[in-house]
Amino acid sequence: MADEETFEPVIVGFCCNWCSYAGADLAGVSRYQYPPNLRIIRVMCSGMVHPNLVIDALTKGADGVLICGCHIGDCHYLDGNVKAENRKEAIELMLEDFGIEPERFRLEWVSASEGPRFAEVIREMTEAVRALGPSMYKV
Amino acid sequence: MPVKVAEEWLNICGGCEVTILDIGEPLLDLLPELDFVHMPVLMDHKYFGQTGEKEEMEIPEADVGIISGGVRNEKEKHVTEEMRKKCKTLIALGSCACYGGIPALANMFPLEALYDKVFRESKTTDAGDTPKENLPPLLDRVYAVDEIVPVDVYIPGCPTNPDIVVKALTALLEGKEFKLEERSVCDECPLKREKKAAGGQIKRTLDSVEFDQSKPWDQTRCYMEQGYLCLGPVTLAGCGSKEGNGDGVTVPRCIKGFMPCRGCFGPIRKGANPLVDMMTAISSIGLDAKQVPDRRALLNRYIGAQKRLRPLPVRPK
Repeated sequence: MADEETFEPVIVGFCCNWCSYAGADLAGVSRYQYPPNLRIIRVMCSGMVHPNLVIDALTKGADGVLICGCHIGDCHYLDGNVKAENRKEAIELMLEDFGIEPERFRLEWVSASEGPRFAEVIREMTEAVRALGPSMYKV
Repeated sequence: MPVKVAEEWLNICGGCEVTILDIGEPLLDLLPELDFVHMPVLMDHKYFGQTGEKEEMEIPEADVGIISGGVRNEKEKHVTEEMRKKCKTLIALGSCACYGGIPALANMFPLEALYDKVFRESKTTDAGDTPKENLPPLLDRVYAVDEIVPVDVYIPGCPTNPDIVVKALTALLEGKEFKLEERSVCDECPLKREKKAAGGQIKRTLDSVEFDQSKPWDQTRCYMEQGYLCLGPVTLAGCGSKEGNGDGVTVPRCIKGFMPCRGCFGPIRKGANPLVDMMTAISSIGLDAKQVPDRRALLNRYIGAQKRLRPLPVRPK
């Protein structure tokens, strides 16, 4: 197991196809630097990310999970991100049930034009998770 | 030639054996074809010979083995392994055998914490040592049977439904496979659903649901939408029997008794996590998920084995 100094967190990011994934693309083509700890999974909408996926990731090896979607009102499917937000509370309760620190899960809105913000969110989250140390579910 | 059956009970209350008796008249048709060669709940049969003279555990060879109860201690583990060796087909009967059952709620705590609570910290107990003499040592947690040995047929339920015991035994006698369909209790439930809860508050099960016995089932509102915590959406169907002379609607058993489902049939498919699915279901119909009391225990009430309930991880200081 990695000790505190060499620990590199594994963060799973679910990015919606229409805003956040495009935002990540923009961060890329604009050459904004951000830590390589994020593993992006493109989904059609943040509203389709079932809490099961979040809990599964966190209990099976991920140190953090980030869900990125369009800003409220911008959703390609009108209210997918509202659904994601409604689930946030239930996910936070479940993190408590599984003994996982609440900082390991984040829901953020990043639009297609917010490349710098995307890089900033990833930097912040990576540092927050790095400070927590490895997930206790890591074997 | 009758089929030889060996039955064994482990960490269990005995309710699932009562279910076998509860089969009623169909049992009379089944019995001539069954030959019970080993069944501690009915017959006197010692493991190590009648006077304990033998060295090795002795369970007779059988075609069908039925195990009820989870595996809590070394002796039960030994019996389970022996049953697997001697039986061609192994049935896990009841939720304890399939998923750990109620006793597996103890999996939320480390073994030492349980000993401390029971033998030392309880107010009504004189503090003493943990008894060890002549007792098989406990395993670190409660195991379901399939965590120890492979299981061929699962019949969950607490207690289980006599109808499906008959179906499973008949299928085995005819040489067919038996498996419950992967459907949820809600798929089977005839109550009226409007996909939105009446209010955000979760009501206590002690308050009675609203119903009118004179009306047909499809005019009664879904209990979950009335605000009661019903585990139907995340629970395997199979408990219901058809009403009337077998031609009426199928009503899940607790629903029939005007009680919300408690989830005794376990998860719908292997690897599902009812706690997560249920919390999602609660918030998606507009109930306040924060109001669910003691979420871990309540939503894993019958299914604590197979690592669904475990002590919360603690960061070493």
